[in-house]
Amino acid sequence: MLAKVERKNIQGNEACALGAIAAGCRFFAGYPITPSSEIAHTMSRELPGVGGTFIQMEDEIASMGAVIGASLGGVKAMTATSGPGFSLKQENLGYAAMVEAPCVIANVMRGGPSTGMPTRPGQGDIMQSRWGTHGDHPIIVLAPESVGEVYSETIRAFNLSEALRVPVVVLIDETIGHLLETVDLTPPDPASIIERKWATCDPKDYKPYEITKDRVPAMARPGDGYRAHTTGLTHDETGFPTQDTEKGKNAIGRLLDKLEYHKGKIESYEAIDCDDAETLIVTIGISARAAKRAIKSLRADGIKAGLFRPRTLWPFPEEAMRKAAGKAKTIIVPEMNAGQLIFEVERVIAGKCKTVGVNRYAGDIITPSEIEAAARKVTS
Amino acid sequence: MGKNIEIRLSGSGGQGLILAAGILSNAFIAQGRNVAQSQAYEPTSRGGLSRSDLVVSDGEADYPLAHELDYLVILHQVAVTASENMIRDDAIVLTDSKLVTEPPKGKFRLLQLPITETAIKLGNRRIANTIALAALSAIGEFAGREELEKIVTRRSPKPYIDLNRDAFNKGWEMVIQA
Repeated sequence: MLAKVERKNIQGNEACALGAIAAGCRFFAGYPITPSSEIAHTMSRELPGVGGTFIQMEDEIASMGAVIGASLGGVKAMTATSGPGFSLKQENLGYAAMVEAPCVIANVMRGGPSTGMPTRPGQGDIMQSRWGTHGDHPIIVLAPESVGEVYSETIRAFNLSEALRVPVVVLIDETIGHLLETVDLTPPDPASIIERKWATCDPKDYKPYEITKDRVPAMARPGDGYRAHTTGLTHDETGFPTQDTEKGKNAIGRLLDKLEYHKGKIESYEAIDCDDAETLIVTIGISARAAKRAIKSLRADGIKAGLFRPRTLWPFPEEAMRKAAGKAKTIIVPEMNAGQLIFEVERVIAGKCKTVGVNRYAGDIITPSEIEAAARKVTS
Repeated sequence: MGKNIEIRLSGSGGQGLILAAGILSNAFIAQGRNVAQSQAYEPTSRGGLSRSDLVVSDGEADYPLAHELDYLVILHQVAVTASENMIRDDAIVLTDSKLVTEPPKGKFRLLQLPITETAIKLGNRRIANTIALAALSAIGEFAGREELEKIVTRRSPKPYIDLNRDAFNKGWEMVIQA
């Protein structure tokens, strides 16, 4: 008999914490910051009960460091932050990408730049989530649009992170983080939860950064007797630093190629009414919810509008978007910033149709009627 | 599939409106409907505008934020301006007859009810939220009287169960008589 799942209202931030625990997260290090604090709060309440550890560190830099340490120690680990806190995490986030420490970072976006508008929504971290740390680096960014999706995407974030040894950012709007929605928190099928690949070879043959076909080296579980060296310096298969440019090319090449090779696993998007859409809307998060409402009214008036929503924001699902834009004359990109996602959309569409931004960057959300008005303007 | 219902409970911080909206959510969820609840999230805790919005739908709402209100409760004058431009013509608006001196104007149906006055008569002005919740639910036919009374009782702190029940009944009857 299936366990009865209670339908109830929970907040987006709470759903993030509960999703993490359901995915097997047992370590949280963070520093509270509005509007992400409820994630830390929920973790502090729930983690001890499942044998996990919650620690409030002295700042965001240290909490990101603690997460990497816990991950290398063999535990699924995460942190959560917002605005300036996300900036502080960037250095260690790059380190996590370089040493391939699986970890999840929830970033609940608020108005920026700097300390900006702590209690107000924004989507100004779209580019930072991809390029916030220096150097070419692999990173996955997931952008849920509802409380239910925050739960399921946080689970997916852990699965991708463990499977591919890559940091995964869950990018949430303040609006969704603080919204309560009715969800049934169906626990994931245990078989769907991914655990990282542990080394099982003869310890004397173990290479911590071996170049394998699937581009994901097996990790040394502490206590299993493997020797592993971890450094942010460019390292060869042994894990020790190298100045050899050929070895460096192979190592970084594998790191970057890893996500391309596993693209099919990573990509996720929603395409609504795109087949005949002459006006395509591309957006994420709460702006996508507004777009869904706008499309209904536009379609009711015979305007061929569709929505393409990258659930995996980075790497951007470019082929899928190109397909969704097959009949598009105009692409509208609503985003709560001065224009970031539109750059990626323009890159992908490469001049094949017109692009129009709908932007808000001072703490207001974009309403369905604003998107509708923009679509009516381009079709009139 | 029915149309989404958009409800706003608004007033001054500390009037218990976010709690009341949460209790009302319970009633809709029990009926198998989905509720998206949002609230003003500002660095204020006492006084100033406070509001909580519900968007009730069958299945997940496409857009979870209220922007065309079907039902509006205003318990304090400070909350009037915030909703003025988003009330549907066929909406029902309940205002506190004492604390809202200049209610919003429009084609909608306006009921000015002695919510705070009744709360004071019951001995605790903080019970105004329960009175408002009952009045709104009665007029909106959101749930059966007994069903809702049960939820209010369940959510009430023990020492205040009787007070909440009295407040609930006063609120319900206030609308039936109006």
